[in-house]
Amino acid sequence: MTLFSLFTNTHSDLFSDRKVIIEKHWHELIPRRVVDFFNDQVSRAMADGEDVTREDVLPIISSPKYQLINVYRDGLTYLSPVTKEVDPMMVFEFLHRIPDIMQEYFGQVSETVIKENFVTVYQLLEEMMDDGFPLTTEPNALKEIVPAPNILNKVITTMGATTSVSTRKMPHGMSNLPWRKAGVKYTSNEIFFDIVEEIDAIVDSTGKAVSCEAHGAIQTNSRLSGMPDLTLSFVNPRLVDDCSFHQSVRFNKWESDKVLSFVPPDGHFRLMSYRVNLPSQQNLPIQVKPSINIGANGAKFDITVSLRNTDGKPVENTVLTLPLHKSTTTLTAHCNVGQYMFDPVGKVLRWDIGKIVPRERAPVLSGSFGFGSSSEAAGNAGYNIGVEFLINSHSLSGLKVDVLKLFNESYKPYKGVRTMTKAGRYQVRA
Amino acid sequence: MADFIKQNATRFFANNKKGENAELLADLNSEYRDRRKDAVKRVIANMTVGKDVSSLFPQVVKNMQTEDLEMKKLVYLYLMNYAKSNPDLVILAVNTFVKDTDHVNPLIRALAIRTMGCIRVDKILDHICEPLRKCLQDDNPYVRKTAAIGVAKLWDLDQERALENGFVTTLQELVSDSNPMVVANAVTALAEMQESSTSKDIFIVNVAIMNKMLAALNECTEWGQIAILTSLADYKPLDSKEAENVCERVIPRLQHANGSVVLSAIRVIMIFLRYIKNEEFIKGLIKKMSPPLVTLLASAPEVQYVSLRNINLILQKRPDILQNDVRVFFCKYNDPPYVKREKLEIMIKLCNDKNIEQILSELKEYASEVDVEFVRKAVRAIGRCAIMIDEASERCVNVLLDLINTKVNYVVQEAIIVIKDIFRKYPKRYEAIIPTLCQNLDSLDEPEAKGSLIWIIGEYAERIENADELIENFLETFLEENSQVQLQLLTATVKLFLKKPAQSQEIVHRVLQTATNEIDNPDTRDRAYVYWRLLSTDPQAAKAVVLSDKPPISVQTRTISPALMDELINNISTLASVYHKPPKAFMGNRAFSADAVKKAAAADARDEEQIIGDAVLDTTSGAPAAKNTIADLLDLDFGSSEPAYTSPPVSSSKPASNNGPNYSADLFDMSSDMSGSGISVFGGMGGMGGMSGMSGMGMGMGMGGMQQQQQQAAAPARNDPFGDLGGLGGFGQPQQQQPTKPAQSSAENDLLGLF
Repeated sequence: MTLFSLFTNTHSDLFSDRKVIIEKHWHELIPRRVVDFFNDQVSRAMADGEDVTREDVLPIISSPKYQLINVYRDGLTYLSPVTKEVDPMMVFEFLHRIPDIMQEYFGQVSETVIKENFVTVYQLLEEMMDDGFPLTTEPNALKEIVPAPNILNKVITTMGATTSVSTRKMPHGMSNLPWRKAGVKYTSNEIFFDIVEEIDAIVDSTGKAVSCEAHGAIQTNSRLSGMPDLTLSFVNPRLVDDCSFHQSVRFNKWESDKVLSFVPPDGHFRLMSYRVNLPSQQNLPIQVKPSINIGANGAKFDITVSLRNTDGKPVENTVLTLPLHKSTTTLTAHCNVGQYMFDPVGKVLRWDIGKIVPRERAPVLSGSFGFGSSSEAAGNAGYNIGVEFLINSHSLSGLKVDVLKLFNESYKPYKGVRTMTKAGRYQVRA
Repeated sequence: MADFIKQNATRFFANNKKGENAELLADLNSEYRDRRKDAVKRVIANMTVGKDVSSLFPQVVKNMQTEDLEMKKLVYLYLMNYAKSNPDLVILAVNTFVKDTDHVNPLIRALAIRTMGCIRVDKILDHICEPLRKCLQDDNPYVRKTAAIGVAKLWDLDQERALENGFVTTLQELVSDSNPMVVANAVTALAEMQESSTSKDIFIVNVAIMNKMLAALNECTEWGQIAILTSLADYKPLDSKEAENVCERVIPRLQHANGSVVLSAIRVIMIFLRYIKNEEFIKGLIKKMSPPLVTLLASAPEVQYVSLRNINLILQKRPDILQNDVRVFFCKYNDPPYVKREKLEIMIKLCNDKNIEQILSELKEYASEVDVEFVRKAVRAIGRCAIMIDEASERCVNVLLDLINTKVNYVVQEAIIVIKDIFRKYPKRYEAIIPTLCQNLDSLDEPEAKGSLIWIIGEYAERIENADELIENFLETFLEENSQVQLQLLTATVKLFLKKPAQSQEIVHRVLQTATNEIDNPDTRDRAYVYWRLLSTDPQAAKAVVLSDKPPISVQTRTISPALMDELINNISTLASVYHKPPKAFMGNRAFSADAVKKAAAADARDEEQIIGDAVLDTTSGAPAAKNTIADLLDLDFGSSEPAYTSPPVSSSKPASNNGPNYSADLFDMSSDMSGSGISVFGGMGGMGGMSGMSGMGMGMGMGGMQQQQQQAAAPARNDPFGDLGGLGGFGQPQQQQPTKPAQSSAENDLLGLF
């Protein structure tokens, strides 16, 4: 179960332009040639068909000596060559943590950001793994060991002045509760819960959900003093089909009473993730009605969007994307709300609707597109519309927080709860 | 401000112009601490972009003695990188290291012992033992847990030394530590050492250790949980009750956000299920495993991929899992192809008469996607559903007809191939659709599709009014055709002749003439000879052979042998579970036995089919052993009045082994067996294939050679319903489809030398 080396290299569509940005070995040195081999494999896979993108390349590639486990994110490949049987799931989880942590530290992840912060990046990698065994990967704990760069830090380093990282701090894992440091103090004690639900759905052209589920997460920001012991209960906990918790949550309490009992870490953390299967007759908040009539040389289409089940709330940031067939060359369209854009290179039609208010006129986009050459395949291809939106103060599953009780401390905390429903992987078949 | 920072960044990465190292050298020796630190940072920057800064070793190491933790860490980073190339200089650092392991700050103690272990140089080994011993007994759990991994590092370099110093014993004691994180790391280290130890007695999970691990399981980090769960899987429970107890304790781990924890917990449960006798309990466990598996499918595509490969395994072992969750396996249009492929496989595995409607409408949807490979797989999947579920076959056929009517070339061809299988499974049931199929005659250009349609025409020649015209039509290009198509045409023409002798006497004569005179391919030519002799000596007998009933076919959804299955279940959440192969089959640098190769090849063949989405058809008749039959055949004389086919085809009835391809074959079942993976599509013809092989032998092949060829040809000729004959001929040209599976990298051998 060990991961010994990591290479991070850039990916761009120009095959020649791939370079290693981070190279880190936790055990023995693995020659860089392996990256060339890997890049070669990726190029081969991508040369397989015109539609093959970097995302389509297998995450585990076998070579006689190494199994090349890789994750592709934000234009960067995180590559880990392994020489013996490993738990690939663990490697993937770990590889994903790296950009997660960098995001947490630097606000974004890119080649430039990594280069600007290479000293921090290398320190982080050093703390995250020891000789192939994951060590500290909790952002809260890492921040105690490796200081996050802030403006002040940067000024100091730039000026060449000392950053005396004090040795006063106790490392992670030394208190009784590894996720919470001792002696936290706030003047006003507050805790905020953001319940964000993402809908993953496949909807057919009649508006019926072929598959539909909501993935919820309770993002929590705790600003409570001392060692608060909390119990959070829900009005309707039985809705949840599957869930996972932050380390601090006492599992047995959930099993027996369906309440979340925990001593929170300080600051931001994800308290709970859950999944709710939605029935196929579920009223989705928004209905997209596409009609595409395909002829030999092109097609006429119109797409209507209407609100259905939003409890009177407006739907915001609505964007529809319709990937068109590769042979599409021309497009003309008209919409009554928002703006549309046709990307003639990527062959994608993007309709940015923005906010839709209940009982106002329904947004409609209609028009036609033409194929450069008439082909049977183009004429028979199916169309799928990707849908993005968000609805504030709304929870599709209907999960509701009931009360928060606090033990072990004497103050009365302020509790803030916000809900939001978003489109996750939400697709409508035309 | 931003510019300022950028400037700073580029400063670290300044071009390695002449004298940069000299400049760094000066700065590293500077009397100002800030300048020295800045220089170390630049050194590290150069190191990370691959520039050689090893010449600065002594100067960098001098900066190790500092109270500035960041500076210390940077120097440590440098040391780890260059110690190997400067082993003599490492000694300069040893004293500081040893001193640091006594530092008041536990963070520095831990850091020092951690780094020392990472410097894989013999000189360090002489000095690491004392500090390591101290750190293993440190008051601070953070130091202890770091030291535990340190033992594994030492072990990796020098097992003797680790044993002599009693570190192994100390580590075993740490499994009873009061701190769960220390327990987890001790377990991690011991498991790692056990794997590479020769005696394999470093870490044996007994009841006491198991209980300690279970106690630590809830409290340690996610990575510690993975380590503990992995070791727990090695425990052999005494009885059902104990297995139940362990499962109870492991179940909460299914609720973890880390997919690796979830799968590791599933592995423990799947293994312990073998010991559990309580049916109710088993049912409960199975029920609890489904939701977390479904949840994994909402993760990143890589995680989905590993999950799907494992779900595929688990489903074959426990078909009752995920029964109501087929919807979550429906493909999104922007899923990566490797995810779609796996989802499709699982959809078919979950297919039953209740959800077939839903699945069919999905498959039809996929058939209109842009990705041609995926479309083909979807069409094949429809065929597999039809063969699996009798009641649904009609709906499947209707969907296939709809698809044929789209006239999209590759869809039509794939549909026809699939329909041939359906005809095989349900003879005479769907004859009405033959005219529709024949309308597409001209659009077929792939050998397999062409062959399929020709087979259908031959098989149903008596119902197709213009069968002779259709065959004639194909015969125009007879000589240019691929040998698969030629063989099909040959057989179809003979069938036509036997069924409608009046119309086709001339055709059959012409075909046999052409095939024997103008075709060099021995398979085609020899088959033509065999037919000719058969027809000329005893047409009745020819009828009995050519028009004999074909053995029924069925779809196998379990594609892995029970023995391999058990091994793979033991390896859930490892690479083996992704490849569906035993670990030794793909970890390149290990030699493995011929037996393992065979086993792996079997797994491979099965695997291949699965991925390619081919219908895995199997003769249910059981395949008799080959050798006797073939030996019998040797005695036959084709010219004699006692023709070959009158000898009973079955010489023994050894059932088909599930463990891989059947190499054995009797005369009339040859085709199914020779296809290497139990695909038998053209049973009747296959019989003739056997004959053709016989006459091939007459042309100079020794018997022994023949058998050997069979064995060899059988494995690679997998997945090729027509390749049966090519394989049988054994002339060293087995038909092999290009593997498109993840594990395969045969084409890259040129680069292999590099590693």
